[in-house]
Amino acid sequence: MANNPSLGGVATPLNEAAQEDGVPPPNGYWLVAWPLGGYSVLLEKRAVVVNAGLLIALLVACLLYLSLGSVPLAPSAVIAAVIGKGDMMTAFMVQELRLPRLVAACFTGAAFALAGVLMQTLARNRLATPGIIGIDNGATAFAVASIVGMGVSIAPPAMALAGATTAAVLTFGLAAGSGTQGYRFIVAGIGVGAVFGAITQLLLARVAIDTANAAYPWTVGSLNARPGGAVQLLGIGLALGLIAALALARSLTLLRFKDATASGLGVSVKARRLQVLMLSVILTAFAVAVAGPVGMVALIGPEIARSLSSARHVPIVASLLSGALVMLLADLAGRTLFAPIEIPVGIVTAVVGGPWLLWILMRPQRSHS
Amino acid sequence: MTSLANVVGSATRRYPPRIWMLILLTALVAVSVVSLLIGAGEVGPQRVLGLLQGSQDSDAHFVVWELRAPRTLIGIVVGIALGVAGALLQAVSRNPLAEPGLLGVSAGAAFAVALALVLGASAATLRISVAQLGALMGCVCVLSVARFRGVGNDPVRLVLAGAAFSGLLGSLSSLILLYDQRAADEIRFWVIGSLAGRRLDDLLAVLPSLLVAGIVIVVMARPLAALALGERAASGLGHRPGLIRWMAVGCVALLVGAATAIAGPIAFVGLVVPFVARAFAGPDIRRTLWFCLPIGPLIVLTADIISRVVVAPSELPLGVLTALCGAPVLIAVVRAKRLPML
Repeated sequence: MANNPSLGGVATPLNEAAQEDGVPPPNGYWLVAWPLGGYSVLLEKRAVVVNAGLLIALLVACLLYLSLGSVPLAPSAVIAAVIGKGDMMTAFMVQELRLPRLVAACFTGAAFALAGVLMQTLARNRLATPGIIGIDNGATAFAVASIVGMGVSIAPPAMALAGATTAAVLTFGLAAGSGTQGYRFIVAGIGVGAVFGAITQLLLARVAIDTANAAYPWTVGSLNARPGGAVQLLGIGLALGLIAALALARSLTLLRFKDATASGLGVSVKARRLQVLMLSVILTAFAVAVAGPVGMVALIGPEIARSLSSARHVPIVASLLSGALVMLLADLAGRTLFAPIEIPVGIVTAVVGGPWLLWILMRPQRSHS
Repeated sequence: MTSLANVVGSATRRYPPRIWMLILLTALVAVSVVSLLIGAGEVGPQRVLGLLQGSQDSDAHFVVWELRAPRTLIGIVVGIALGVAGALLQAVSRNPLAEPGLLGVSAGAAFAVALALVLGASAATLRISVAQLGALMGCVCVLSVARFRGVGNDPVRLVLAGAAFSGLLGSLSSLILLYDQRAADEIRFWVIGSLAGRRLDDLLAVLPSLLVAGIVIVVMARPLAALALGERAASGLGHRPGLIRWMAVGCVALLVGAATAIAGPIAFVGLVVPFVARAFAGPDIRRTLWFCLPIGPLIVLTADIISRVVVAPSELPLGVLTALCGAPVLIAVVRAKRLPML
């Protein structure tokens, strides 16, 4: 596929490293050879360009995020404050108030989007994001239980993980007969999500109104109430998850085909499926523990990444970056648009993501990747 | 679990429908009495029974006749409205998963009410027509999506579209409520979906529209049953499928709008009630509609009673309980080997 001569790849100048080995890299790829040990890796040119572009966009968004707010700051002052110069007040505002929130937004957005692209690949359905099949709600219900203090004093991330796992087991178990493909699986997930949503309401109804009010922005998805330690845990989980996802990248590319094709090409389908599912569940759970259910990012992020990337690979890094970008911009909009009132980021993403979801549903079906 | 419908169906065939109808009506009366007897507060069954035997207990008198009796009546009306609306919507879209709450009709009504409150309306009377208008918009939106590029051929995709739609409207409503504190205070307890603290005046205000819907449904029952045979058969029998469909949609909007205006958005009732009613009545839409009449109130009242007891002395929103018992039904329908096309 990559060497398709009709793409006009006949007269490509050969890369030096490749010339030594005598094997030219496929059209549209760079061959990056490791000087020691003889390792080499093929990088898709388009992916490199897209990721670099997304990274630049993300950095610009970060700068905007730090400058805008109830007290607008000049970008130069922000940069000075980040590296520890500038006056005390600005430094405090940037480093103590806005930077932690920025980090939380980036991490949660990246984790949601990565979990989303993994789940979509697993289910071969672009609508099967963890939020839609009920995993977000499961994590939320359990984490709310720990937050409103139902006599359970386990940290929110652990509880969220337990909830997400329960929801995933329920959804996949209940859909077992009809397979993980198709829309029935998703509707089973919607049912599971509804049950957990009701449980969250039940928990909130049992506690005092103040506790319930404090937990409310968190149940719709907000970066205001970040339990201590959850962000650090998410950062570690995200780094490990990215490494694991990149290690699984080859299998992920092949999992998009039929089971028979994938196993014929040397993927142990069942084991890889389970690994991908676990990875997705863990990432979702840790992200929910920080920001609550902002599930729409898991739909929008991979969708942007796919529209930018070629269809040859599963766009793992691009999804991660665009997820972080979407989350940052959504939270920025929520903080600044209706200035004294802060709109929870979950509502902003739902308002943007809902029409998007409908549009995907109504669009003629080209492919299910 | 796949054969939940079969199990229920074979159990119901033991007696003829007429007997079942009697049993269900008896059960409904019993549940209504229980609904008068039990509450979250201090007035327990003994005091209520004493009151009914003629003791002078002003507290109990107030609680029973001013709070619980209207609540029970409202529960009955809401149950009928939502159950019948679900059966109609499922018959029209030929989709066993079509449910006003799932498809975003209730969310449309709630959004319309929130919007009206923000734009300055405050009278509770305005709420009903606004909610019905919003329900109509929701209906039309979802059904036009359903007719769009074959989404409607796949029952499950329609549900997904509905979930997306109601999610969108739900967040728009909360956006509005965040923006406007006054509106938020007025509708905070309404938007959850509950029978608690509703007044009898609300019920009286919606009765005319419910009556209109009822008459239209009686007129429409035969054409609807013909429509179940397919569009061609229906036109061959002298009916006009397009007209029937729009009339049904209008009725659904009237019913759901009225129910939502009184009790707030309550999901899943419109799914569970026709599901159970079909098990009793078989495929005939006319008989299904009759069976919805006792089953709807039965389910809503039972859920309401449980919602008062579980977390006493406070109360649980009714929507929570209907979701807890409705979601398993949703999953059971989806898991069925062959999705029943209505």
